[in-house]
Amino acid sequence: MNELTDISSLGLSEEELFSRVDNDSLAAEKITAPRYSYWHSVFRVFFRKKINIVILALLAIIIAFAYIYPMFSNYDRFAHVLVEGGKHLTPQKALEMHPDDSAIHWILGSGGAGESTFDAIWVGSRISLSLAFVCALINMTIGVIVGAVWGFSKKVDMVMQEVYNIIGNVPYILLISVVVMILSASFWSLVFALTVTGWLAIAYFIRTQVVIIRDREYNLASRCLGTSTLRIAMKNIMPFMVSVIVTLAATEIPSYISYEVFLSYIGLTMSDISLGKLIGTAQPSMFTPGMQLEFWAPVAIASIITVVLYVVGQNLGDASDPRTHM
Amino acid sequence: MTKYLLRRLLHGLFSVIVVVAVVMLLVYSLTDREKIFGSDPLFSKKASNVRETYKYEQWEKYGYIDYVTYNEYLISLVRSGEITEEQRAKAVDIAPTADRNEIDGNYVVDIHSKDDSPAAAEMIGRFEEYYKSQGYTVVRLNADYYSVRTKKLNNGGKQVLFTYKDRPLISRLLSYFGNIFSVDNIHYVDAENDIGERKLTFTLHDPAYTDPETGKAPFSPAIIGNGTRHKYLLYVDGSFPFVHQNLLNISMGTSYSVNQGVDVYDTMTLTQGKYVKRVITYPTGLVEDSADDLHSATYVAGSHELSQTISDRFTDDYSNVSTVKASKSKIGFSFVIGIISVALAYVLGVPLGILMAKQKDKLLDKIGTLYIIFIIAVPSLAYIFMFQAIGRSMGLPSIMDVNNESWKMYILPIVSLALPSVANLMKWLRRYMIDQMNSDYVRFARSGGLSEGEIFTKHILKNAAIPIIHGIPGSVLGALVGAIITERVYLVPGAGNLLTNAINANDNGVIVGLTLFYALLSIISLILGDILMATVDPRISFTNKAR
Repeated sequence: MNELTDISSLGLSEEELFSRVDNDSLAAEKITAPRYSYWHSVFRVFFRKKINIVILALLAIIIAFAYIYPMFSNYDRFAHVLVEGGKHLTPQKALEMHPDDSAIHWILGSGGAGESTFDAIWVGSRISLSLAFVCALINMTIGVIVGAVWGFSKKVDMVMQEVYNIIGNVPYILLISVVVMILSASFWSLVFALTVTGWLAIAYFIRTQVVIIRDREYNLASRCLGTSTLRIAMKNIMPFMVSVIVTLAATEIPSYISYEVFLSYIGLTMSDISLGKLIGTAQPSMFTPGMQLEFWAPVAIASIITVVLYVVGQNLGDASDPRTHM
Repeated sequence: MTKYLLRRLLHGLFSVIVVVAVVMLLVYSLTDREKIFGSDPLFSKKASNVRETYKYEQWEKYGYIDYVTYNEYLISLVRSGEITEEQRAKAVDIAPTADRNEIDGNYVVDIHSKDDSPAAAEMIGRFEEYYKSQGYTVVRLNADYYSVRTKKLNNGGKQVLFTYKDRPLISRLLSYFGNIFSVDNIHYVDAENDIGERKLTFTLHDPAYTDPETGKAPFSPAIIGNGTRHKYLLYVDGSFPFVHQNLLNISMGTSYSVNQGVDVYDTMTLTQGKYVKRVITYPTGLVEDSADDLHSATYVAGSHELSQTISDRFTDDYSNVSTVKASKSKIGFSFVIGIISVALAYVLGVPLGILMAKQKDKLLDKIGTLYIIFIIAVPSLAYIFMFQAIGRSMGLPSIMDVNNESWKMYILPIVSLALPSVANLMKWLRRYMIDQMNSDYVRFARSGGLSEGEIFTKHILKNAAIPIIHGIPGSVLGALVGAIITERVYLVPGAGNLLTNAINANDNGVIVGLTLFYALLSIISLILGDILMATVDPRISFTNKAR
């Protein structure tokens, strides 16, 4: 209470302290509230959790290693193939074998062609991550757009429901392998195979969400007031969907990495070195003493990448839900 | 309700047909048909023109094309009486080399030759005219000499003339669905084969059980056919379901390379592993220690005369028998592993999900969430390998052995299948329960003075369980399909890997058959799920009035 008592101590004149304010009808209409910016709040909520910063840093390190490190490592699978006794080495022996190279190449030992396991997993991670990002981008874009139309239009719904029932029953592996067989087994043909029907499940998910929100009372009211469908879609429904879409992307991106690993394992490999291909080729050395690292290292990296991407995505999804912004 | 479900079922069957059509389009029209010979040992042994005609023969057999040789055409003309046998014999030999026509600067083999005898030339003309009018392509391959001077032929290099046409999708689809169910009848065996009186006999003493010492069969009813495909149309034995039939047969597509010549349905359902030998009395009276299953005898024309082994044992041409093996069928292995892991998943997953929801944001919930993240995010291949490595270090068998079964070898595959589904159940049950906890009726119940335990078991759990219950038929029937990675890692001789093997071997018959099987299962499990949900929750109704 003390601070409020003595006005004279402020050293201001009477006029400065008390002046008449006009009755401004426009200003009276304004609601005083802190400025709210959606994306600002998203990141405020996201960084409030300290664990997110750690995980984001981990993701940054992984991406840096996957995209920048291979530029310097000059990975060539068959560069060391002629080195005698250079295959399937433990880290210790590999370091002894290649004393001239910088130690970082050989900290995980060497693989079946005498190549560095450490270099191989980052080249593989780059391909796998690129595949996941490209597939997720294509599938999410098509899926969200088609899903939104599907949810709004009853005519489209009737047709798409049938398409979904039919395509959903065609075994996914069959579709992928037929595409891989027709085209050659390259990066882009795998992208095509994963996206040719992959968007359908996303579109169906988005459609269900749109249908749930579409008929809520506030949208009904909005429509009664004459808001156009496009504006309802963009202003009333989109904000709800952002968190759904981000959460979905969080499960989608890791799932493509898993899918690639799975496809390599059943024999549908692409020509580039990917994490799946590394796991598949190193599988025989899984139980061989001294050679386990070349199998478990790509497995571990694949798992770390997918977990980190998943957790970042989930937490970003939580943060992008406006209800958490209080 | 019944009407609605019937409509759903018909609707589902329609989409199954479309799915099969889509898959047929994919595998027959879009993939390279030469690839099916990649794993065919017979193909690599053939050379020259014979290899070429072998390809067409196989393509016809597996439904790619309609294929008619010049010979077959002549024989059909003889049968219909248009030409005599003498005329046929004169026209059947075609000249070694055909003329060549220059088309756009390239020389192309014509199907006519100035060296053909007049009779042959006339018939070749008719042959060409007839099949070209029906959209066929006529091909004539010249004799393949290794020495032109001595006119010596390469192995399999005799000149051939044939015609073929790609089968349209519709006719392939129709014949596929038309042949799925076939009822065995006494007119199965071709009329040319003389097999005595065609009839069905009912006997009270099944001859397959003839006692080797007394030579008499004990009481055991059976229906035996003559002129049918199967000898035993109905018989009784000691294994479930005790009465067996061969009257209605299912054929879902013949395998080309995965299990050559055998139908997908049989590939999945026939027993595997060691032979079970026991003393049996063959129809001729020969007593032998054998694994043959006499009840499976089917008709093979002329087999009795051709083979000494067969004529020693069988009195007629019903001599093609399958064998009894000790272990489960492919589908049996998949189902046993699948169903136990499904049961385990529900037993573990449901209580854990409930506990997580109850202790939201406490330690147990956090540990559970970590586990769920692990299962969702980590590639399934990675954690299955991890389970295998852990199990191996605990001394459990890490691969399955059909010939040497023990209950221990089931542990790891079951655990590997159950743990991910536990996570899935936990995730969804927790989600549904927490959603229910925040709903208005729960607050109302609480304000009405109900105890927390009562609210939880009587209101929240009941409502949250409904979507979980909807998935039960799906997961039970899904056990029949098998698991691809788990079965591959643990070398389970199950059905899960059949599709990937068929894809790798370009085995179209198996691919189409399995697609049909998967599509049917998925539709049935959706409908069953709806029925189950409607029985559990009286608010859900499928009749039009209530909606």
